[in-house]
Amino acid sequence: MTMHDKRLAKTHDDILEAMAEALAIPPSKLEEARSRYEAIGNWLDRPESTLADYDPAISPQGSFLLGTVTRPLTDAEEYDVDLVCRLNATKAEFTQKSLKDAVGYEVGLYAKAHGMTKPDDGRRCWTLNYAAGAQFHMDILPALPDAQRYQTKLLAEGYRTLAHDSALSGHAIAITDKTLPHYDQPTEDWPQSNPTGYGAWFRNRMLVQLTESKKAFAKRERITASVDEIPDYKVKTPLQRAVQLLKRHRDCMFAEDCEHKPISIIITTLSAHAYNEETTISGALQSILTVMDRYIEDRGGAAWVANPVNPAENFADKWAEEPKKSENFDRWLGQARQDFALYLRANAFDKVPELLREHLGPQLVDRAMAAVLPVAAAGLAAPAIITSAARAEDVDRAQHAVDQINRAGPQSKPWARS
Amino acid sequence: MLTLKEVKAAIAFDQPKLRATAADRRILVEGSYLVSERDVVAAPDGPIAEFNIRMELPDLYPRREPKVFEVGGRIPRNPDRHINPDGDCCVTVWENWLAASRDHSFGSFLKGPLSEYFLGQFWFEKTGKWPFGERPHGLKGLEEAYADALGIANKRESLLYHLRLLSQDWPKGHWPCPCGSGKALRRCHHQDLMAMHRRVPPDIARRMLLRLDPKN
Ligand SMILES: [Zn+2]
Repeated sequence: MTMHDKRLAKTHDDILEAMAEALAIPPSKLEEARSRYEAIGNWLDRPESTLADYDPAISPQGSFLLGTVTRPLTDAEEYDVDLVCRLNATKAEFTQKSLKDAVGYEVGLYAKAHGMTKPDDGRRCWTLNYAAGAQFHMDILPALPDAQRYQTKLLAEGYRTLAHDSALSGHAIAITDKTLPHYDQPTEDWPQSNPTGYGAWFRNRMLVQLTESKKAFAKRERITASVDEIPDYKVKTPLQRAVQLLKRHRDCMFAEDCEHKPISIIITTLSAHAYNEETTISGALQSILTVMDRYIEDRGGAAWVANPVNPAENFADKWAEEPKKSENFDRWLGQARQDFALYLRANAFDKVPELLREHLGPQLVDRAMAAVLPVAAAGLAAPAIITSAARAEDVDRAQHAVDQINRAGPQSKPWARS
Repeated sequence: MLTLKEVKAAIAFDQPKLRATAADRRILVEGSYLVSERDVVAAPDGPIAEFNIRMELPDLYPRREPKVFEVGGRIPRNPDRHINPDGDCCVTVWENWLAASRDHSFGSFLKGPLSEYFLGQFWFEKTGKWPFGERPHGLKGLEEAYADALGIANKRESLLYHLRLLSQDWPKGHWPCPCGSGKALRRCHHQDLMAMHRRVPPDIARRMLLRLDPKN
């Protein structure tokens, strides 16, 4: 590859984009994960499947649904792909236990047929482990449709708008939990979840930029298809990029203390609230890091990060009993704000401050920078000629800044007391 | 009353090289103030300029004016550079800003007068000119700034008389109109004066008056 093949970075955003790209799941890995979970879906739905009568459907939830997957910190760690396995059945036909067992039976057969180890029986999920090289595992969550009960609850709690919005609450599910006392009893009050509704909420928070990104993608790839035909996962909005960078920053900062690190759903929810359809990653980070903590509510003295599609659920419910979690969130936000602000506000685009480099992973940052900068530009002394040219540019920039202020009307004039 | 939280929030992202701490009845802000274009999150070449500063914010801000010191020695200590020998920066005539701008929050000061002052200093370094003009030193500068804030001609007697009227919670209608017509205010420019009264409320007018003529 010659120098001319490189798409050289010219702005902070070019660098942020390169770093976000480097810490995202590689497209080939994403395709592999997709084809593997589709294979599981096909298996569950095959004619001889014991679940075939219930139209089992597999769909992603969490970061795979939101498009905010980040690479694990080390090659030894795995992507965890969160999936919902939804049967078209009712609680009259299943207890939590019998649903979990029925899904487990078929997932077990799938594992056996593919020479994999027996799936792990978790509190709510079955975990399917692939051979070491695959670098991921699947958490499969057995579920039944349960929108009506979900919406009734929302109404009872006074959330009318949510209850009547089918995109946000019409796909809620009932899930199983083997630690509950009535786990093997026929009951109505199963635990609930609403990953599809959350995904719709998150998508709504960036709808304008999602469309813009798809238009740009179509243009770049010379595709004539309409925007609606381009799947979401083909593009990334500034919000998704910002969330990836922030999650990575969190991962590096708490590499030694995974137990108490701020959880992804809190970072994602607060970021999406604070995001205001900014068109750049830097703009998104500025908004998010400046105001994200204002979306933590205080409910009777308890810190509350409401699930936007079920405000009675608190994503920060562990903070009360483990103050360290709340302290760590504050510490993380303070550090992320400082690290990104120092880079964006106080440095030239090709100078990544040491702490940001450390908190995004030095190797990853160096690799991303090398891919978009000429030679190893960072740190090299600039020739004298460039310095004087830069000085003339400074005056041009100051002129521009002065013009901006003069257009808006300056607010002050310097004076002297004596 | 100004809180440390408010100050920290204002500098949090936009001025990452400043640090705020609470001291006795005031808040100290120290570090490097970055001069950038407006509405630019990240300038590819970094900030236009940086000034090392110390700011003392009285807890009664904005009623009491903040003190800003340039501590890096970048600005020559010369009144013509709008700085006192101890580095105390004459950012603006405070009451003029209070009367001229609606938003008196610390964030607004940071993005308004403070940014104009340091951009102005940089511009002066390069060109020898003040991009937004300057006030005469001392009393003359005060008079000019207050006349600007009131929107009247800069004549001392008239300025003082206007300020006496404006210092009253309800300007006296039977006083002679400041226009010099000889009529009572209520039969002459009453409307105009009341509009001015809304723009320059009594507490600000009183402080202007006190600074122009300490006998008042
Ligand atoms: Zn009159």
